[in-house]
This record gives sequence, structure tokens and C-alpha cells, in this order.
Amino acid sequence: MAKIKFNINNKDVQLEVKDSLRLLDVLRDCMGLTGTKEGCGIGECGACTVIVNGDAVCSCLVLAGQLHGANVETIENIEQNEVLSKLQQLFLEHGAIQCGFCTPGMLMSAKALLDANPHPAEAEIKEALEGNLCRCTGYIPILNAVKAAGSE
Amino acid sequence: MHSIIGKKVTRVDGYEKVTGKAVYGDDIKLHGMLYAANRYTDIPAGKIKKIDLSNAEKMDGVEAIVLFKDIPGKKRIGPIRQDHYILVNDEVFYCGDVIAAVAAKTKETAYAAADAIEIEYEPIEGIFDPAEAVKPDARLIHPEFKSNIVVHYPLRKGDVEKGFGESENLIERVYRTGFHEHAYIEPETVTAAPDSTTKGYKIYGSIQNPFTTRRMVAAFMGLNLNQINILGSTLGGSFGGKDDIINCMACRVALLSKITGKPVKLTYTREESIKESYKRHPYILNYKVGFNNDGKLKSMKIEIIADSGAYSSQSFFVTWRSVVQATGPYEIENVETDIRAVYTNNSYTAAFRGFGSPQIIFAKESLMDEIAAICKISPLEIRQINGFKQGSITASGQKLDEHTVSLGEVIEKAIEKSTYNAKLDEYHKKNETGSRYKYGIGLACSYRGCSLGAEGTDTTSVIVSVQADGSVYVLAGLNENGQGMRTTFCQVAAEVLGIPLEKVAFLEPQTATIPDGGPTVASRATLTGGNAVIDGALKIKNAIFNVIKDELQVSGIDETIWENGMISRIQPLPEINPISFEKAVEKSFKAGVNVSAYGWFKAPDVSWHEETGQGNAYFTYVYGCQVAEIKVDTYTGKIEVLKVTAVHDVGKVINRLGIEGQVYGGVAQGIGYAILEDFNIQNGIIKSENLDEYLIPTIKDIHEIEPVLIENSDKYGPFGAKVIGEPTLELASAAINNAMKFATGKYFYQIPLTLERVFLGKNLVKPSRQSEAVRVTHQKKHTPRVTDIAMVTPSSLKKALIMISEDYKIISGGTDIIIELRKRNETKKLLNIFQLKELKKIKKTKDEIIIGSAVPITQILSHKAIKKNFPILVEACSLIGSKQIRNRATLGGNIVNAAPCADSVPPLILYDARITLQSKNGSREIPAKDFIIENYKTQIKPDEILTSFVIPFPKKKFYHSYYQLGRRNAVNITRISIGAMIALDPEKKIEDCRIVSGSLFDRPKNISEIEELLKGQELKEILINEIEQPLKKIIDDAIGKRWSSEYKNPVFINICKDALHDIFMKLKKKK
Repeated sequence: MAKIKFNINNKDVQLEVKDSLRLLDVLRDCMGLTGTKEGCGIGECGACTVIVNGDAVCSCLVLAGQLHGANVETIENIEQNEVLSKLQQLFLEHGAIQCGFCTPGMLMSAKALLDANPHPAEAEIKEALEGNLCRCTGYIPILNAVKAAGSE
Repeated sequence: MHSIIGKKVTRVDGYEKVTGKAVYGDDIKLHGMLYAANRYTDIPAGKIKKIDLSNAEKMDGVEAIVLFKDIPGKKRIGPIRQDHYILVNDEVFYCGDVIAAVAAKTKETAYAAADAIEIEYEPIEGIFDPAEAVKPDARLIHPEFKSNIVVHYPLRKGDVEKGFGESENLIERVYRTGFHEHAYIEPETVTAAPDSTTKGYKIYGSIQNPFTTRRMVAAFMGLNLNQINILGSTLGGSFGGKDDIINCMACRVALLSKITGKPVKLTYTREESIKESYKRHPYILNYKVGFNNDGKLKSMKIEIIADSGAYSSQSFFVTWRSVVQATGPYEIENVETDIRAVYTNNSYTAAFRGFGSPQIIFAKESLMDEIAAICKISPLEIRQINGFKQGSITASGQKLDEHTVSLGEVIEKAIEKSTYNAKLDEYHKKNETGSRYKYGIGLACSYRGCSLGAEGTDTTSVIVSVQADGSVYVLAGLNENGQGMRTTFCQVAAEVLGIPLEKVAFLEPQTATIPDGGPTVASRATLTGGNAVIDGALKIKNAIFNVIKDELQVSGIDETIWENGMISRIQPLPEINPISFEKAVEKSFKAGVNVSAYGWFKAPDVSWHEETGQGNAYFTYVYGCQVAEIKVDTYTGKIEVLKVTAVHDVGKVINRLGIEGQVYGGVAQGIGYAILEDFNIQNGIIKSENLDEYLIPTIKDIHEIEPVLIENSDKYGPFGAKVIGEPTLELASAAINNAMKFATGKYFYQIPLTLERVFLGKNLVKPSRQSEAVRVTHQKKHTPRVTDIAMVTPSSLKKALIMISEDYKIISGGTDIIIELRKRNETKKLLNIFQLKELKKIKKTKDEIIIGSAVPITQILSHKAIKKNFPILVEACSLIGSKQIRNRATLGGNIVNAAPCADSVPPLILYDARITLQSKNGSREIPAKDFIIENYKTQIKPDEILTSFVIPFPKKKFYHSYYQLGRRNAVNITRISIGAMIALDPEKKIEDCRIVSGSLFDRPKNISEIEELLKGQELKEILINEIEQPLKKIIDDAIGKRWSSEYKNPVFINICKDALHDIFMKLKKKK
């Protein structure tokens, strides 16, 4: 067991967790933050992407014990005061969502990119989203949504 | 003119999906819920001799284990033939068969208990080749069905032999297609909970066809349909895939729920999903065709074998669609088609978007281009000569006169939109330049029967319910799979009632509240459900009209307009005001008029004669044409699909945003099917177990897709709309294959067009033996998962060095080790060094850069001095994993793992890096080139930690080149790589030469013989060619016997020469 203190979605939390837990399990099972999804468990699909200390990471490949002192942001934090972020709005407008299962991870990868680089080039967008698999949309509407967000 | 139909409408279920609030199956947590796990078979075919539950039953927290004998109702289920074992009895038939299911208090306990179930087998030699299965003396896989042939559909039209006799040309070709995994991003999940009101069960989860699931669970549990209520949940992709497997899971959890009296959830890992789930049928297609010199097709004889795998599932319907459409949209006088689906011990196969059409389209559209070439006419002309026109007769004898036959129109549009003719010239010219890249353009077209056709009853249901305030509910007996059905149905209701879309809400359906709407398959939701919505909404509209007609002083509904929430006269009268929809509804409620209605749709009659394969198979058809433009790397066999122009006649666009999304997504899946998705199953054992080995396209693999939608209104469609979901997927593989002929001059007869198939004309697979398949593994951990980890996190490097010993594995970024640990059995102790400040620095001195071993790759990529001085390191590291992986993965981790494919190693060798290893007794440095001894083995000792990399700044001016080959454009396991650096002396002779290979030998290393050969010489084309023979010998000697060397040897020579050529060009430019 490990005692971890970290910040999640702007709230400090302290948890005692088993060493085998992954960040993904902490979010989904311990904290009820089920917006983050598990698609493969090996960092290939990106459905579990969250932002840790400003960087997009696969939460299936981070052990809870490695979280101490980290700042974690999940999909649940993007809508503020019942107002969707511009990026979320643009995902809707561009049809960047179908089944929606990859969407939280996709949004977190896109957010991490735009937070660091508000006007990314197309190649930078593709690089930021290369680790997020989507089986429904063919990616084009997603790319267009992030491009639009980057040209704001 | 419509106000909502045809517009770009954002999804009605979009909000919950962009906020993470949508509830998917695994998000459901019920009070007192147990977790289930399957005990899968260890072998694909064999008798079960003994099942020992004793160890599992003893485990704390295990509440139930169920076997075949515990099944209360039907022991076997299936949509058509009941041959599928939910829990096998005394024999296993494929690697995804389940012998027992466990319910326990925690997920981990359930897995551990499943692991602890001991099975003894008597292996049977499996049948894995469908051609073997149809041989007369083949072992019967299910003897009770008397044959390995699941189903045989014949189709007879005219006299093929006579037709062949009259033909000026006769050719015969064999095509093959592979298994195709749905790879929905959400793995399957189902939860069952006891329902005391019905003495039955409520079922939640990722369910595509709730009414099918209900039927199967009721049969399995021996209950009535009204005792099973399927509530579903948000579905994370399906594409036809969340049908049978979900039904099996639902049956198991219902049974576990019965025994425990508690809710039980079963969620799959990706590995379990790929192991148990069904795939698209692989086909072997034999086409014999007679045609005249002018290209006119006279006669076609087709024999197809489809691998049904262990169970029949949807094979009956999948192969039926194939028999209807096997000749494509071409009028041929004489046709004889026979398709047989056969049992094997492979993964079973069933519905997947396209449903028996992508295979036949790949074959016959490739064939059409080959016939055109023989006749020296264009791909366009051959299709114009033979293509369906208004009133044409299909192979099954159906006259196409009930809808607009738009084949010619879609082809013309595709030619125009893709600027096909200009591209032909452009690519011809490009291909003459002698570049390693060849360009190609190809087209494919299809016709496709809409909805179920003569498969079965084609009806569907909706409820439209207007509330007292004028707001509206829509419920449907069809399912939202992500395709956008809810939005479409809300649009239709809003359009008919003349109200804003915001007034319509789609209600989560349950099977208990709506009549069976049939399955959500065959691209039928808009076509059938849209009609049902119209039916329901019109009933309500008429009811309301009767209440207000006197006030509007009209006698017929056609004298009114219902628009923007207002009902008004078409011929306005000054004294009569329009009535708002709300007001009209209020009046209706007051008048006691019912403003809720069931909507129903029954498809027009169709027909089929089983013995002759003649009949009116479908009540309407759609037509599509896709043009693919590709670039092929002739050095490696890698295909880049530059653009697909997708032209589809959809009848009428309901939601432009949704329909374009269908095109993008379907084409992307088609591209994957054509070039990437190589499902590797050998002797019944699945080798591509997860998404690292089964590769679907990433965002970098999809370039341009242009949807072009043609609208020829269909008399049977809602607002004239037909279908779109499946036609989008079925054409790309054939179009790409035809573009391949253009680019390479070669015909290909099999998909996927893997690197090896393109380069060598055949696929290479790591050999596996039948003995391997029948070996009982007795491995303890059946489901990969992170468990039994103990981790310590020292606060300083000093403390870490004191603790480190053989007992510990070091974890840094974790992106490799966590994946490895998922598969391991034993308890692991981890020493976490990721946070150690001492290892997190990048230091620059006058002569060198020192990179801490725990520095994430991303930081290395953005470091100014590294970018400037070590471009190959930056290029190679930028190709490690994905952005998320690079944000976490460290340089130290990449090298200590010592995988032959580790991308950072070749550049470290090239730049003469040194590796610092520290122990509590001191530190030592090892040159990077000596660090890795062989695959997965390094110089590091158990008491050492790799602490830093020292990379000296190059003292000379180097010219460099780097190339990495992966199967796709991102998140690759590097197939092969080359890094080369050359420095010249004042005489322009090669003074220093470094060539390092990756993923070729047992470790990344310098190819010193070649380096020596080049030194002292002037870099010229002729010199570059001279390395070929010696390099070939070096590779042959080292890996000649390896299965992959037939590909890797020539490809490495190509890319090595190209790297030198690249440097040569840089030097030339410099001059």
C-alpha cells in the first residue's frame, strides 16, 4: 500500500492505494471519475489519456504510487460552470464524435497540445493525437475541430 | 424544402460524450455487484477430460463458478443455427471458447479464480484451413450437423458453359481476403442484475442488438421474453461486432446472477476481446469469367469458400449477401455462383460492417480492371459497357426499375471530383522519374441491397410521444451505435411535426418499453426507423390537425404548413392567425386526444428461391464509387493512401454532418482492411492479441477523404433517404488494389497488402507449429493485468543504490515495464526511480551533453543543444511510441529494455555515446555500442542503475541520414531502421563513416565491414552500389535463416543505399 497525495482537477486529495493500482484504476474505481476509458491497457489506444503535470499521458501506464505530488486533470474538469470549453464545442460542431469512447482521451490530448501551443500546425496536431485511436470518425473531423480551436 | 432534414446537425447525444458523462457499460456500478471472469480454453481444439474447480472454489471472495451443466435453459444458442456453446460441455472448438465463468467480490479475485481452474484436455488436431474442412474425409467439427459446410447458396442464371463457349476470352483468378477485427475502442462489457418484479434479469452493457440479446438470454435461462429487460448503455463502437459475443456474455452473467442473487458485471480486456470476439469472414474466391474483346462480360462462374470458424453465427446471412452481389453491378447473361461457409477451428466469423460485400468487391473489382487491361480499354469503359442501367436485370433476375439506378452517375461523379484523368497523366509522369516512390490511382464501384432483404422479416418500431407542453419524446426499437441514429430520428420527428429540434428528446430505450424493432444492422436504421418515425409522427400530426382544423378553417392537412413551431394555412386569411404547436397540443390534451403514437415500418416484399438463387433480393439498392490515390515505396512495400474520393448515392441526406462522418469512418476502416489489418491466427492461436500487433489506422495514416453525396430520392425511403453505413467501407480495398496495379505494374490477389506482400508478393509470418497450438500451456495468468506489485520509491539516488538488488525491477516512466508486468505471473518488486532529481537533468558542457536516465523523451526532443547537435537522436526518439508514451518514457528505459527495435539505440551508437552505470560502490562508463549484448540482455549488473548518457559533440562536420520503417505512420514497433553519418576529409574523401542498423540483427550495431569499405573513398553512386553484395552477405550470414530475412535483407539493402544516396544528395547540394 502507498499513501499518495496529489491534485486532481484542482482539488488536493490523499489516498491510500495498493501498489498494483494504475492511475486509470484510481480515477475510475477509487474516485468515480469514469469519464476516462480503458481500451487496451498497453498504451496503444489512448482512450485513457489524462493530463499529468501538463503532459498527456496514458493513465493505464502510470502506477498510482508514482503519482505523489502530481497535478492530474481529467475530462471531468473541462466543462466549467456548465459551460463547454471551445474545444468541446468544436468537437460537436465538426462531428468529431461518433461512439464517443475515444473522445475523452482525444480531448485530453488535444487540450494538452493547445495549452502548450495555442496555434499548432497540422503536423503538430497529428503528432499530439497519434496515440489516440478512433475507429469511427476516420480522424478527419477530429483534426478539423482541433485545427479550428488552434485558429481561434 | 425542409427546415431540418439535410442540414448539418450536431449530435443530440454529443454533450454527454464530450464531457465524459455518457455512461458506457463498464461505468455501471450496481449495489452489491460482483465481478465475473471467464476461464478460457488453453487449446483451440480438444476434448475436456477433467475440470478441477477445487482451488478456485476455495478462494476467499469467490461466490459462484458456473459450467455447462448449470445452464437452466437452452444449452446452445445462435441467431440461425443453435450451435454455439456459451459454456462448452466436453469439447472446445476455438481459442475463445469458455469452459467456466466465475463471479467474485473483486475483479482480481474473479481473474485469480479463473486462473486457478485446472483443465485436462485430450487435444484434437484442429482444422484451420477452410479448404481442408470441405474435403470429403475431413473430421466433422460439429458431427451433429452432418457436414462442415454450414451453408451453401447456389445462384443460377442462363448457362455458364454455353457462355464460356461463346466468349472470346476466358480467365480464371483466385482472390483471398483476411480476417478482419472490429477493433471498436470500447471492449465488451455486460452486467446482469436480478429483477424481482419479473423474476428475471435486467441487462446493461455494450449491446448492439438488444432484442437479439433478450432472445438469447431468455432461451439460455429458460425464461420468457418479458422476464428479460435489456437496458443497454452508451455503446462505444460496434460495426456489427457487439452482437453474438455480447449475447454469450449476457447469458453468462445472467446465470451467475441467478446463482448469487446479485448483480454481476463482466468486462473484457482488449486481449479477451480479441480472443473471444468474432471477425469478418476470410474468403477464398475463385472467379472464372468469359468476355469478348470489346470488354462485354458473357459468363461468370464463381466459387467462394468462407471461413465460418467454430460456429455458424451470421454465416447464413453474410454469405447470402455475397451470393446476391458477387457479380457486382454488372449485367451478365450467364452466372453460376456457389458460396459455402465452412466450420473450422478458427475464431468464428459473423457480422462486420459490409457483411459479405467487401470480400466480393475486392475480388470482382480487381478482376474488372484486369479484364479491362486484357481488352485494352480503360477501367472506366469496362464499367460503362457492363454496368447496371435503369431496368437492368441482376444476377438473381431482379429487374432494377423501382429506384434510380445511378451507377453511371456515381462513377462519372467520382471521375470528375477526383480529377481522375488529370491524375492519370500526373502519376504516369511521376512514375517515370525513377524515384523509389510510385504513384497510383484506381477505382471501384458497387451496388448494395439496402436493409435485410430476403434474410428475414424487416420491420421496426418507434414511439413518438408529445408532452403537454409541446415537447416530444422519441424512443426506438433500434440502437444508437455511435452512427448518429438518435439525431437522425429526432430530426425526422421535428421535421414532420414542424418544431425545432431542441424540442425533441431521445429516450434511452429498453426492450420492455418498445416492440421489437429488429436488429440495428444492414445500414437499416435510417431507412426503416426513419419511416417508422414518420409513421408515428404523422399519426400525431393528424390527431392534432383534427383538433385545430376548424379554427384554421381548413378541411385537409395538406392545406396547412407546420414549420418552426407554428401551424398555419398555406393560403393565409387575414382573420385567421397561425396556431403555435404548443397551443395546438394544449388544445389536443384538453380535448382528450391522444398525441402519442407507435410508429411501425414493414419493408416492401422481397423474394428468394433457395435452389436457383433467383428472386427480388432487396427492395432497393444504393450505388457507390470510390477512387483511391496511393504512393507506394518500392524499397519497402509501404503504401500511403493519399486520397479517397467517395461518391455515394444515399437517396437523401438527413444529417450532413452525420453522413459525412459515416463516409470518413467507413473509408478509414476500408483503408485499414486493405493495407494494415493483418489478423494473425496460426493453428487456431491468435498472435495479434492486442492493438500493438493488430494495427488499425492512426491519425497519421488517414490523409484526405472527400465525401460526395448524390441524392436520387427513393420512393421507399424516409424523405427519400436510403443507406450509407456499410457502402463506405466496402470499396476502398478494391480501389487501392487497382491503384497498386497502376503504381507497380503488378496484380495483387490478396489483402491485406502488407509490406511483405507488396514487396515480395507474399506475406511472411513467424512460423508456428500445430504442436505449439495443442500444447497445454498451464500458464497461470490467463488475462493480462497489472497485479501483485510491490513498489518502493526511494527519495534519493543514494538510497536507491543501497536498495537495488536482484529482487527489484526498476521502474522509471513505466511505459514498457507495466506492459511486461501485465503478462507475468510472479509477484514483482519495483524500485521507482522516475522522480529522482539526480536522474532528471540535461547538462551541457563544452564537449558533451549529459542526459539523465529518467528524462522523458519529450524533454530530449525539445532541448535546443540536442536538436542542434544530435539530429538523428531527435529524429529517432520522435518516433518512439506516441506523444503520450514519449511524455512518460525515458531514454534510460528505452535502452535497458534492450529490445532490438528500441529506436534510441542506433543514434546513441552513432554519436559515440557512453552510458553511466552506478552502484553503491561507484560508477563505470560503457560505450553505447557495447551496452546491449543481445536481444533483451545488457551489461547492467543487478546492483547497478543506469544514471546518465554522455554524448560528445561531434568534432567534425557530419552529413547524416536516418530512416525508420514501421507498418503504419505512428505508434510502431520499428520493423527496420538505418542511421548513417559521414564526414569528409579535405580531399572530399570519406574520413569517418558510421552506419548503424536497428531491428535487423540481434541488437542495434555498426555495420563495420561496410563502414570500412566506404572509408577513404569518394561518395558516388557507383560506390553506393558496391555495398550491395557485401551487405547482402553480412545480413545472410547473420539472419539468413530467420523467417523475416527474405524481406528484411533486400529492404535493408535498399534503405541503406538510400541513406547513403540521401547523404550524397546533401553533399551535392552543398557543393
